[in-house]
Amino acid sequence: MIQKMSKVRIIGSKLIMNEVVELLHTLGTVHIEEVPRETGLGDYFLREAPVDKDRVALKGRLEKILDKLMTLTILLPPSSTVTDIRYPISSVTSDVFLEALERLETEARNLQKREVELKDELSSLGRYERILRGLAPLITRLEGIKAYETVGLTFDRSKAGVIPLLEEEIKRITEGRYELFVRDIDEETAGIVIAYPRTFAKPVKELITGEAISEIRLPKDYEGLTFFDALTIMLKRKGNIPSDMEKVSAAIKGLSDRWYSEVSRLMEVVRDAIDEISILRFCSETHYAFIITGWIPSPDFQSLVKALRERFEDRVIATESEIKGEEIDLIPVYLKNPRLLKPFEVFLNVLPPPKYGSVDPTPFVAFFFPTFFGLMVGDIGYGILILFFGLYMKRRFRERKVLRDLGYVMTLSSIFCIVFGFFFGEFFGDLGERLGIIHPTVMDRTKALTAFLVMAIGLGVGHTILGLIIAIVNHIHRGRGRDALAKGSSLVFVLSLLLVIGTMTRHFPPELLPTGVIVLVTALFFLIFFEGILGPVEAMKTIGNIISYARIMAIGTASVVLAGVANRMVELTDNLALGIVVASIIHLLNAILAVFSPAIHSIRLHYVEFFSKFYQTGGRRYEPFRRHEAEASSEGKGHET
Amino acid sequence: MEKGLIALAAALAIAIPAIATAWAQGRIGAAGAGALAEKPELSGTIIILVAIPETMVILGFVVAMLIIR
Repeated sequence: MIQKMSKVRIIGSKLIMNEVVELLHTLGTVHIEEVPRETGLGDYFLREAPVDKDRVALKGRLEKILDKLMTLTILLPPSSTVTDIRYPISSVTSDVFLEALERLETEARNLQKREVELKDELSSLGRYERILRGLAPLITRLEGIKAYETVGLTFDRSKAGVIPLLEEEIKRITEGRYELFVRDIDEETAGIVIAYPRTFAKPVKELITGEAISEIRLPKDYEGLTFFDALTIMLKRKGNIPSDMEKVSAAIKGLSDRWYSEVSRLMEVVRDAIDEISILRFCSETHYAFIITGWIPSPDFQSLVKALRERFEDRVIATESEIKGEEIDLIPVYLKNPRLLKPFEVFLNVLPPPKYGSVDPTPFVAFFFPTFFGLMVGDIGYGILILFFGLYMKRRFRERKVLRDLGYVMTLSSIFCIVFGFFFGEFFGDLGERLGIIHPTVMDRTKALTAFLVMAIGLGVGHTILGLIIAIVNHIHRGRGRDALAKGSSLVFVLSLLLVIGTMTRHFPPELLPTGVIVLVTALFFLIFFEGILGPVEAMKTIGNIISYARIMAIGTASVVLAGVANRMVELTDNLALGIVVASIIHLLNAILAVFSPAIHSIRLHYVEFFSKFYQTGGRRYEPFRRHEAEASSEGKGHET
Repeated sequence: MEKGLIALAAALAIAIPAIATAWAQGRIGAAGAGALAEKPELSGTIIILVAIPETMVILGFVVAMLIIR
């Protein structure tokens, strides 16, 4: 449900404003906003509370520290080692601390740089080694030729056509006094060694440079060495690099184990301190008093009053202000659902928040999502696999709320799969029935296609009508009678149209036809009256939405047919073991599809078909002024209500 | 002959929407991949957008099943 909110105004002595802000930060229940001008005190008295220079400077310093801490979390790999050291904010902002952070950053940067250098060196040595090894036999043949110069080149093998042209040019320059050797170095590269008299060194070099051919140049550290000497030293160095890399990695890990969790905690402390200064811009003051306004969940209001009284006695008062009509769209939206339903809010979080005062669709999603999912999968075997997958997700991603919630949704939905699987008599398709373990109790999905389709469409009728009813309730809550009547007309139009179709197809008694037609025409008249010509078009779209629920039958049937194909594989092969392996692979593929496809289509039925009837975006999320530290510690504690 | 025509009709009922769905999903998927590179938080919305044209092939499948019966 969308929590009822109260507009709160906190007034107190200016001398204790900072302490009050600190307490509000700790309580973490008030969504603080700018004080509206029309407070009744008049602009002359009321002004924005100035933030003193010291605090502005402190904020600047904290932001600088936060930047450094964020850089450190990028430089250091995440570590699971937790240190529980707490710092007072005064020590965090000291010069000594900033210097310590700078030293740590330098150390981390140097280690990272060294690691990158070693990786580059290893990769570069590997490349040179390959080239030098490839060219070594060619160079051996040229050893001992005095007054001759050699140059090594590499070529992309796909451009080997250039080599004859190059040779021709060298021949022309050296007047035929040259030797050219070609050898493949690897699948992509060919190496060439050219020997020519030193007197032609200049024009040959000019040719190579001018044509942008890649000449083999030894790395700086190996300049002046012969290819053989360079290769020997390179091989030795290559053998030493892995141990150097291990040392650097161990040093980085040690640094991370020592600092990562501390840096993360410090970031929260610093963010909280910045927030406490930033929030002051929302505070207003008179000559002697300060005013803070905001929104608080109504059940928390008394706790706020009590906490303020206990700490500041009568020096601070909190009052509940009247919410004016035009303010209703400004009230922040706080979805508050029981623990069992809360994980389903994950589907609403991808949408903008609903408007305050409208119906929270979470409970409906919590019921219909697993139902649709279960109907589509409808298999005990796949249900058990999805159950394990959901439990794994919940456990594996305990710290990541979205994935943990999805794991919970999957776990709950898998129970529906198992229940529907029992009704349909499916255990890995028809395997259960073949083995005589289970038989359909309600319907056989492979045979009763029409019944399954009618059931899917029937669910669509129910779900869509529910959407229209919620829309009517929303409009009534918000005092929009005309819109409520328009939605009501749309609802009657759709129902009467279904009645007419039902009587014409002999699913309902034919004597209901005249009544159906009269109601249909009347609803059409009201629809045009309230919503114009687009009203009937929108209502007809609802019929399209209802037909869309046929996907429940289609995806369900596709899943059971694929499972049947997997089971038939065992019959079709002579080798039983091979048949079982192939069948298991197809079942696994089907199980993976069974996680994604029904989940996506089930949620699509909610977003497109259901929510489009009533969900009005435009609300603002409730973002209470609370400590990051508190948020971080509550993340791992499971679902909050 | 009649059975063959029924089978052909069923095949066309699923094949044509399947091609249409593939075309639409290809275009939405390409655009979605581009959007995701800029805004990874849109992943949920894009999965839904990619799933929207599947309605065509799903309804084609339903019609094909009804034709065969």
